[in-house]
Amino acid sequence: MRRFLQSDLFYSFRYSPVAIVSFVIIVFIILTAIFADLIAPNNPFDPASLNLMNGFTPPMQANDFTGETFLMGTDDQGRDLFSTILYGLRISLFVGVMAVMLAMLLGVMLGLVAGFVGGWIDSFIMRFADIQMTFPSILVAMLIYGVAKGILPPEVRYEMSIAVLIMSIGLSEWVPFARTVRGSTLVEKEKEYIIAAKMVGLSRYQIMIRHILPNVLSPVLVIATITFALAIIAEATLSFLGVGVPTTKPSLGTLIRIGQDFLFSGEWWILFFPAVTLLAFALSINLFGDWLRDTLNPKLK
Amino acid sequence: MSYVTASGLTRQYDLSDPWFIRMITGRKANVLTAVNQVSFSIEKGTTYALVGESGSGKSTIAKMLAGVLAPSQGSVQIDGHDFNNPRLDNANKKMLRQRVQMVFQSPYASLNPRWKIGDILLEPINAFNLIEDKATRQKRVIELLEQVGMSAHDQTKYPHEFSGGQRQRISIARALACHPELIICDEPTSALDVSVQAQVLNLLKDLQQENGLTYLFISHDLAVISTMANKIGVLKDGELVEEGETSGLLANPQHAYTKMLLAAAPDIGAYIS
Ligand SMILES: Nc1ncnc2c1ncn2[C@@H]1O[C@H](COP(=O)(O)OP(=O)(O)OP(=O)(O)O)[C@@H](O)[C@H]1O
Ligand SMILES: [Mg+2]
Repeated sequence: MRRFLQSDLFYSFRYSPVAIVSFVIIVFIILTAIFADLIAPNNPFDPASLNLMNGFTPPMQANDFTGETFLMGTDDQGRDLFSTILYGLRISLFVGVMAVMLAMLLGVMLGLVAGFVGGWIDSFIMRFADIQMTFPSILVAMLIYGVAKGILPPEVRYEMSIAVLIMSIGLSEWVPFARTVRGSTLVEKEKEYIIAAKMVGLSRYQIMIRHILPNVLSPVLVIATITFALAIIAEATLSFLGVGVPTTKPSLGTLIRIGQDFLFSGEWWILFFPAVTLLAFALSINLFGDWLRDTLNPKLK
Repeated sequence: MSYVTASGLTRQYDLSDPWFIRMITGRKANVLTAVNQVSFSIEKGTTYALVGESGSGKSTIAKMLAGVLAPSQGSVQIDGHDFNNPRLDNANKKMLRQRVQMVFQSPYASLNPRWKIGDILLEPINAFNLIEDKATRQKRVIELLEQVGMSAHDQTKYPHEFSGGQRQRISIARALACHPELIICDEPTSALDVSVQAQVLNLLKDLQQENGLTYLFISHDLAVISTMANKIGVLKDGELVEEGETSGLLANPQHAYTKMLLAAAPDIGAYIS
């Protein structure tokens, strides 16, 4: 810990207002999502606690019928928006984290193999990546989502919808990981310490995992941060388009979709608060990721 | 019989475009012969030096002797065994690997930057299952460090905490870890300051005397080679153009290329006289 406090990374962090502000916002949002049960005044996922009479209550105003007041108002079903956003964030974050992990695992593995083994395996993986990159990743995610839904039997479709969402976003974001890792692998594998490892009879697998992997991971962290923002937005987009998580357990994207229906009838808050939360979060991650990239590797600028 | 025998060693690199590109563009195949029909032998406990300018194929020969690059033609016998013999079983291959180690040119690229020195030195020990007991293994690591003039607490540090000369010492310690008989030194001092160079060269000489090591010593610097080698081979464009005992070759070079190399190294005169 003391070593971290004295590191260049921390030093640069202390003098970067953008990094500090974005980091504080990220941590704040993540903490509120994790402790949603403790902070949220209501449980929006519990249908029994909902009162339809509370529907469309504006923020900070008493409801005409029940007299209850809500910090950010309520939606059409009388759900407290503040609580719903906290619980929705939790779903968005979970999907985002898992999707990034999947993309990272897949991308690092494929990039490592492509770079190290070379030959037709390399060509195959990288041409596939090129082709996938010509499609917008949200389109790829929708395609995978559609196929997965088609394959799954109808009775598990509902429970599996979050897993399917994670898979489709994860599979649509692996390419940047693979490209970066492949590039660094090509550089590392020519170094003399790899020859030394071959000379003591290590297998290709051992050389990849023990020697090359630790040396190609530093840019992965940066890509993971930026991909995380992309994944959160992809989840919101898919849910907004109605192919993501079910409306009974709304994520930020689902809330924005619901809010959009009522925007022109004057109930602006249903769209406004989830959208601002999403924007603040995604923007902070992006700014933080940019700062991290510039600090860890000034050459990438 | 000699400890190392290279006979008709040849290595080609195919630099041509893929065949379908060649079909379209009409370009010819382009094969680079990096090493061409090189034969030499090294007696046990002696140093054989290969000298030649950049690109003459020195490292390519080193890799073929080290068993990490297969020759296109010809063969290398080390103590009667050949890495590329298809009948060599795994146990014998392992035994052969244990006998040959290498010290590299770059003090920066030859040690994994993410590994601690202790782990770097343990790798050969573990790979060959040399020591079962953990405490004995630790002792061996310290012994290796002290053998190359470093201290026991260096094992918890990372390579970037050392100077170029110190890293070459660590490289040498790693090469020694599995009790090899042949060490291939591929320009081990060309990245170092002159004063540090002398220290590393002296260390290599001392180790050779103590352990009866056989060296293949590669350099483009005749002055360095004259202090190390028993026998010298002169390499030009992948071919061995001249070979001889050190004193004889330096005093009476036959090939024009050797004469040119000698003329470019003025301080050799001191050695000959
Ligand atoms: N993997 C490779 N693919 C294609 N060509 C190669 C490869 N490795 C080496 N060569 C070529 O083979 C020739 C000999 O290279 P080598 O590395 O053996 O030279 P060297 O004598 O060690 O030079 P230096 O003093 O610069 O280390 C060079 O022309 C080089 O470009
Ligand atoms: Mg070389």
